[in-house]
Amino acid sequence: MPLITTRALTKRYPGNVTALDGLTVEIGEGVIGLVGANGAGKSTLIKILLGLLPATAGEARVLDLDAATQGSAIRELVGYMPEHDCLPPDVSATEFVSHMGRVSGLPAGAARERTADVLRHVGLYEERYRPIGGYSTGMKQRVKLAQALVHDPRLLLLDEPTNGLDPAGRDEMLALIERIGRDFGITVIVASHLLGEIERVATWLVAVDAGRLLRTAQLTDFTERTGQLLVETDEDAAPLAQRLVERGIEAHADGRNMVVDIASAGDGEFSVYDAVRDESVALSLALIRIEHRRHQLEDLFRDA
Amino acid sequence: MPDSTGTIYDIGYRGYDGPRLGRRGAIGAIVSAGLRAVFGLGRSGRSKILPWGAVVLAVLPAGVAVAIRVLAGDLIDLYSYDNYLWGIGALLPIFIAAQAPELVVNDMRHRVLPLYFSRPISRVDYVAAKLAAMSFGLLALTLLPVLLLFFGRVLAAEDALAAVGDEIGALPAIIGSGVLHAVVLASIGLAICSVAGRRAYAAGAVLAVFLVGGVMGGTFGSQGGGLEAIAPFVNPLAILDGAREWLFGGSVVESPVGAAGVPMYLYGLAVAVLIAVSWAVLAMRYRSVAT
Repeated sequence: MPLITTRALTKRYPGNVTALDGLTVEIGEGVIGLVGANGAGKSTLIKILLGLLPATAGEARVLDLDAATQGSAIRELVGYMPEHDCLPPDVSATEFVSHMGRVSGLPAGAARERTADVLRHVGLYEERYRPIGGYSTGMKQRVKLAQALVHDPRLLLLDEPTNGLDPAGRDEMLALIERIGRDFGITVIVASHLLGEIERVATWLVAVDAGRLLRTAQLTDFTERTGQLLVETDEDAAPLAQRLVERGIEAHADGRNMVVDIASAGDGEFSVYDAVRDESVALSLALIRIEHRRHQLEDLFRDA
Repeated sequence: MPDSTGTIYDIGYRGYDGPRLGRRGAIGAIVSAGLRAVFGLGRSGRSKILPWGAVVLAVLPAGVAVAIRVLAGDLIDLYSYDNYLWGIGALLPIFIAAQAPELVVNDMRHRVLPLYFSRPISRVDYVAAKLAAMSFGLLALTLLPVLLLFFGRVLAAEDALAAVGDEIGALPAIIGSGVLHAVVLASIGLAICSVAGRRAYAAGAVLAVFLVGGVMGGTFGSQGGGLEAIAPFVNPLAILDGAREWLFGGSVVESPVGAAGVPMYLYGLAVAVLIAVSWAVLAMRYRSVAT
């Protein structure tokens, strides 16, 4: 059974701004990437799913509850991490997360225990007793994630969770999201405008554009091998491609990169490797990388 | 075979299967956290000075009154149940100005509200819980001292049992005025704080409203020429005193209510207006907060 179902979901704001335009989608378990440009309707969808915003038309069901009438019951079982700053500076992470746990309906003792657990999982240790005002952006993002996790939700809605983070912070946040989906068994919906990030953690992809569903796809299928080999060299790859073509192998150079069609070699994958190795030695070219080329997420949008 | 080296286990993620208290639990959590904030509990020693100082000062006259009664009998009655709240009136705005901003300003200013609204509560629940916390907190000033006075008088009497019989009739008025003051003042205080952007502004605005009201009321009262009739209505504390007298009787000499000479139900009406305006301000303010 899908965790989230929407049927012809439409939201129009005053002034004839259409944020969602007849969105119909079913979302199952896993780490789901909700991608779309800024203003595509991702945040609006999240707020409707939480029962905080009435839809203009259509219906949305979350965990088999109606978002329009059973918002309170939904919010008891869903965790939400907003995009913007939302932490008071003068309380500690422990105090704040534990309070939010109780506001989610946990008894005081359970809220305390789970706060300790969750803060450890998101990677906050000694600093959790200090006021949040002194935290780095990365630490604040972890607190935001912890307050969404504290009541052990069945579903997590994360709105642009890597916003404002440096590359290392992004990697850590993405690893954390992947772990929550895989090891904690909590379905995570990650709204983001950055395809490259979603690609790294999501198992399913829901792409929206201008309030409409662009495409849904299982990413494991989508990023399957393409039957092509991607070769990167330290200099122009054109002479190498030329030599391979002379051997009867289909190869296209693009700057320092070259795409080789494996099937065109005729006698198997390894002969292609051998050919690439031999010809690059003959040309004194250094190979930087040889890998199977996979579909890129960008292709998904190109097709659509 | 015992493992002598010892191992730290990563127990991994643990789910939660225990009870979920839902909306009720959420509201309770906001009220209790609010009460802790009102009294500076779990915060620095400095943030306890004002609330506890105010409580001590509010209780002190009751202690003195009881002591005098014990030592001097019925010779003088410094404080009665009727004039007690008017007597400690100056403490109430100070307490509200210092503590009401703690309850609402930071949630608004640092955009914590969307996190609350993503929980099993509604906006109305949130505001009601904050109002309850402030009201309960104010009871430490508007009810606790008068109850102390009550029990002091009973216990100081030679025949405590007979004294209970004498004094018990005052109890509904004591509780009624205490709750009335607490709820109305909490509503006014939170309404003012909810529209102020920072805690300092909020505190200033609360003090300004009560100070200006008090000074204007005093001036009008001493002017004569009809002004004394409206004097109580520019000061929230005088309105409350009038409403208290309308409901429970017992006039206060120092209050401008007596000199005004207007029908007493007008004070009840004025209290209703105060509450309605405060709650309308709160409703409008919190409706405009984005999720």
